[in-house]
Amino acid sequence: MSATGWGLVELVAGLLSPHEREAVLGDLAEANENALRSIFDVLGLFFRRQAVLWCDWRPWLTGFGVALPSSYLLMCVSASVTSTYVRLFEPRIFLYGLPTGHEGFSLLMCHIFLLIAWSWTAGFEVGSLSRRTLWASLILCLVPCFSCSAMFFPLPKAALFLFVVPGIWGLRHGLRFMSVERTFGLALAATVTVLMLITWKYDALWAFNWGLILPVWYLAAAAWRYVPVSARTV
Amino acid sequence: MLGEFEYLLITAAATLGDDAYGAAIREEIESTTRHRCSIGALYTTIDRLEKKGLVKTWMGQATAERGGRSKRMVRVTPKGVHAAKEFYNAVTRISQGVSWVVQ
Repeated sequence: MSATGWGLVELVAGLLSPHEREAVLGDLAEANENALRSIFDVLGLFFRRQAVLWCDWRPWLTGFGVALPSSYLLMCVSASVTSTYVRLFEPRIFLYGLPTGHEGFSLLMCHIFLLIAWSWTAGFEVGSLSRRTLWASLILCLVPCFSCSAMFFPLPKAALFLFVVPGIWGLRHGLRFMSVERTFGLALAATVTVLMLITWKYDALWAFNWGLILPVWYLAAAAWRYVPVSARTV
Repeated sequence: MLGEFEYLLITAAATLGDDAYGAAIREEIESTTRHRCSIGALYTTIDRLEKKGLVKTWMGQATAERGGRSKRMVRVTPKGVHAAKEFYNAVTRISQGVSWVVQ
């Protein structure tokens, strides 16, 4: 096999896990197969692995149940927070027809906290439940971002993606740790629930946003699996 | 009960003994059946058999002919031997008295 061909095979083999990549590339080198057949072999293995992963409920839940709806809702919340902020601090600017909570500094703070908590927990759930199908969840997360961003035209594009940073932060945490400390999980879930009830009482919460409470309580439920470092056996 | 490819893989691994690893098993299956065995089918089946406790795998030594890469070694467990025997006996029993003449 030529160096270019082998380079391509190694590139495609990057789709496999490190141990599997090692064994498969070794097998292909030993069998001395041509580049095209080797690439098809590696791709075949990758697609079989993906097919096995999608037989499970987790990628479906995180992709279609969390990533897709959450990114749409969080984009709306980002727009709402931005327009509320603009109306509070730049009253000369009118943003009629844009989503917003009721005006007021305390409700704005409440919404900012909720936006960060919702984004973090949704990211955490996606990261902890679908590590190997993360690419699919990320694509589904991008769908509303590209298709609905024109809805909020007067707002700057960046204002719609306030949820991205806490979302990635939660995602990274979910990828590294499957759970959080019990106290933290429960305290966060309780705080978010209370704040949601308060904003609901003031008509400052969209009914669909109640869907964002599910990842928060998933986090609390996952916290029961948490094993403190001192109690872990090697 | 085992599937036919699972049986082929276990039998090839048992035949190769301590030298059973991905490429060797693949070559054994291809030379015996005269059909191509894809790496995808091989490794997903090895994983399935390992989950069932019928084989055990580990990363072995690297060799120069493999470009310095490790082998995924395979060993058939006693449970795997039992399952393969059961499959072989079933095929043998059902094949008794059959005549493979096309009508």
